[in-house]
Amino acid sequence: MSLNHLFSHFSLKVEAFFFFCCSPRSYHRFSSYMASSLHNTPSAAVNGTSVADAKSRLPKRPRLLADPTPPLFTPSDILSEFSHHDPTVARINNGSFGSCPSSVISAQHDLQLQWLQQPDDFYFNQLQPKILQSRTIIKDLINADHVDEVSIVDNATTAAAIVLQQIAWGFAEGKFKHGDAAVMLHYAYGSVKKSVEAYVTRAGGYVIEVPLPFPVNSADEIIHEFRQALQRGKQNGRRVRLAVIDHVTSMPTVVIPVKELVSICREEGVDQVFVDAAHGIGCVDVDMKQIGADFYTSNLHKWYFCPPSVAFLYCKRSINNSDLHHPVVSHEYGNGLAIESGWIGTRDYSAQLVVPKALEFINRFEGGIDGIKKRNHECVVEMGKMLVEAWGTHLGCPPEMCSSMVMVGLPACLGISSDRDALNLRTCIREKFGVEVPIYYRSPKDGEDGGVTGYARISCQVYNKVEDYHKFSDAVNQLVHNAFTCASLPN
Amino acid sequence: MLREDPRNGESAHRSSKKPKLSSKFITESDIRDEFSHHQPRVARINNGSFGSCPGSVLTAQRHWQLQFLCQPDAFYFNTLRHGITASRKIIKDLINADHVEEVSLVDNATTAAAIVLQRIGRSFAEGKFQKNDTVLMLHCAFQAVKKSIQAYVTRAGGSVIEVRLPFPVNSEEEIVFEFKKSIEEGKSNGRKIRLAIIDHITSMPSVVIPVKELVRICRAEGIEQVFVDAAHAIGSVKVDVKEVGADFYVSNLHKWFFCPPSVAFLYCKKSTSSSDVHHPVVSHEYGNGLPIESSWIGTRDYSSQLVVPAVLEFINRFEGGIDGIMKRNHDEVVKMGKMLAESWGTNLGTPPEMSAAMIMVGLPSRLCLNSEEDAVTLRSHLRDRYEVEVPIFHQVSKDGEEEVRDMGRFITGYVRISHQVYNTWKDYEKLRDAINQIVEDGKTCKMLYTE
Repeated sequence: MSLNHLFSHFSLKVEAFFFFCCSPRSYHRFSSYMASSLHNTPSAAVNGTSVADAKSRLPKRPRLLADPTPPLFTPSDILSEFSHHDPTVARINNGSFGSCPSSVISAQHDLQLQWLQQPDDFYFNQLQPKILQSRTIIKDLINADHVDEVSIVDNATTAAAIVLQQIAWGFAEGKFKHGDAAVMLHYAYGSVKKSVEAYVTRAGGYVIEVPLPFPVNSADEIIHEFRQALQRGKQNGRRVRLAVIDHVTSMPTVVIPVKELVSICREEGVDQVFVDAAHGIGCVDVDMKQIGADFYTSNLHKWYFCPPSVAFLYCKRSINNSDLHHPVVSHEYGNGLAIESGWIGTRDYSAQLVVPKALEFINRFEGGIDGIKKRNHECVVEMGKMLVEAWGTHLGCPPEMCSSMVMVGLPACLGISSDRDALNLRTCIREKFGVEVPIYYRSPKDGEDGGVTGYARISCQVYNKVEDYHKFSDAVNQLVHNAFTCASLPN
Repeated sequence: MLREDPRNGESAHRSSKKPKLSSKFITESDIRDEFSHHQPRVARINNGSFGSCPGSVLTAQRHWQLQFLCQPDAFYFNTLRHGITASRKIIKDLINADHVEEVSLVDNATTAAAIVLQRIGRSFAEGKFQKNDTVLMLHCAFQAVKKSIQAYVTRAGGSVIEVRLPFPVNSEEEIVFEFKKSIEEGKSNGRKIRLAIIDHITSMPSVVIPVKELVRICRAEGIEQVFVDAAHAIGSVKVDVKEVGADFYVSNLHKWFFCPPSVAFLYCKKSTSSSDVHHPVVSHEYGNGLPIESSWIGTRDYSSQLVVPAVLEFINRFEGGIDGIMKRNHDEVVKMGKMLAESWGTNLGTPPEMSAAMIMVGLPSRLCLNSEEDAVTLRSHLRDRYEVEVPIFHQVSKDGEEEVRDMGRFITGYVRISHQVYNTWKDYEKLRDAINQIVEDGKTCKMLYTE
């Protein structure tokens, strides 16, 4: 039985069980099924085509949990853990919504059930200690000094609101002068740009966007543009109150030299630096003291195997930033951001509580998270090169500037000439070919003609297989063969 | 299958009535099944704090969650928005709003308070309001609302008027009187009242407030905007936003409307000012109107917002639908309240008509409940030793006021009992006996603390 067959057979059984269980009486049994989880006893290693093959030998990551050491995952274990993924889809977009293994989902279900059973007891006796436990693990993972510096929030979008609201108060309360500046990258995430509009522009701040080249050839190109933007920021006696820097941009995806940019900010007298590392943890190295930013946020549901949704916001201890608040104000207002974020009204906090379980999952991979990052990176570069060779295009950045995602040029003949084209093409590839991959439109610069205007952002996570990328390669080849252009797509 | 019209109250458009075959209605045994995940030994008489959700709705929620995990991109592009719109439409009909654009889904009333008050804060910052312009609230407003006012109003230079309501309370007139008095005081100091925040049902102590009358008074007195915090309302009292007439009205669906944690609706009456209301967590949807902004605030689990149709199905298995549930909850909680007051020789905190599905019952004075700490101690003791979950209120004595006594001493503590479809008489008997036991043993709250 081939791996693929085994995979779809198993996931069908799981699906059937879910629907079978849809009656009130069996809710309990449903929960205990999920609790017992799909931890198979490791079978003999299968010589499969999985790119998560645990062949590379890396020094073992120091364990944060006590022994005895659970066994490493086999490829078949990994299939089980992600058997809830749609088997008909080549899922090469881990960047947008992340992924979560069933053992972690199971743990989450247990916690949800505990709440439902006796919410008052859970509220008074369990919730805060469990949040603190998650925060403590994160503090160690990111090399922060104090657990007070680590708050847990829903996602990077929420973290941006927290940091930027503080800037808005700076203007409203006269700490900042009208026209003082905030600097952000042109490729900053859409919601961050809107947050800057809502909280900075509206409050009287002046916003500078750093244009970045794409395709990009070296970190120096980025550093150069950044320095220039800071100079513009300081013109006319303005102060730069905040720099918002992505660690890994979203679209197009590039790893930014954050450490250097933060140093430059310090040299140039920028008040505060906020690193938006939505894709950070589990994707690149995340060391707060090394990076040196005032604020740093990363989603744990993207590359750290947590369920939707949970992120951390690190706030370096200093007098400058003691005034951060969660915008949803509860009775905990004034007790520090971490405590405020630990209760923002009745809701499901379970995603915040499974961080220990995600760590357990990760430590069953050779090399832990470092091993996973390394293998994901190598895989995505290899697959990226395979695709550009098949299509005669190029990568959007050199391998050392990509993480677990890379931009791959699409054949120019597809005629991607707008954002709408990119979205429509993405839909077509999803619906006709069963491939999930986001597509980016890059408008041609002056003098460019007939070049690559569309890039696919492929990703690699532990559940991916070589077949996923072949499926994508074949899909695009098919479109090219059929002389397809985006102009032919319905709007 | 014919469905009961889901609107609260009388409606000219009532569709065909549900056939009155009792076999079509949910049975006691079905209800036990639906709530079989509740801790069986606990007398759960605190539905007010965290609500409750039946197994069939939880199953529906799992289905939505699984769909997302299975293929999140397809879910995001093809499914999520439609699901949220479907829920919003149902709510619009339930609350008698004019337009679905007036209905946004948010996490909870706490979030809604942030939305309304952040706007007030911006008005101060942008010079639309003057320093010392005022916000009016009830003294017993929920703590999160009080803190939100501190965070967004006081900080921005605004001032606050607190309306002290009597408790125990005997009639709606007492509330109306105090409310009018506070407005007069505010205006006599030359202050402009920009916003009044009125609870529909206060939390602690729990009282049903005559909101319609108070909103009318606000309009008559020239108060610019009114925000009704009705966290407990939907599924507990009739909710008709046009009748109430407020500018903003929020209610949690996970308290009394059988949704999982957590989901609430925020109604914003269409007007020129309602266009400047924003969700504090800003996404790419910023500027597309609050309902759209709230429907995407970054990657997270939106499944509790999607199960409203399943909840309606559940509710319509009960005789009389939500109206029937509300009536029975009310009748039972009053009956149980009276039973407890009689057994303990104490009082109810409100007349029955000023309670909904919760009621305050005086605790024997011999417990000597003299502080917040005592209340917490007693509550923990009841939970740990007697497996009774019920919140406890410490009534601070006020000088010169008529105070309620039992056997010569003042009643300083009240329990807030609730009734929801899963409760039985045994729950209240358990509470009754626990308190009687503690009193019989001669224990006071302070003594319980050391145990």
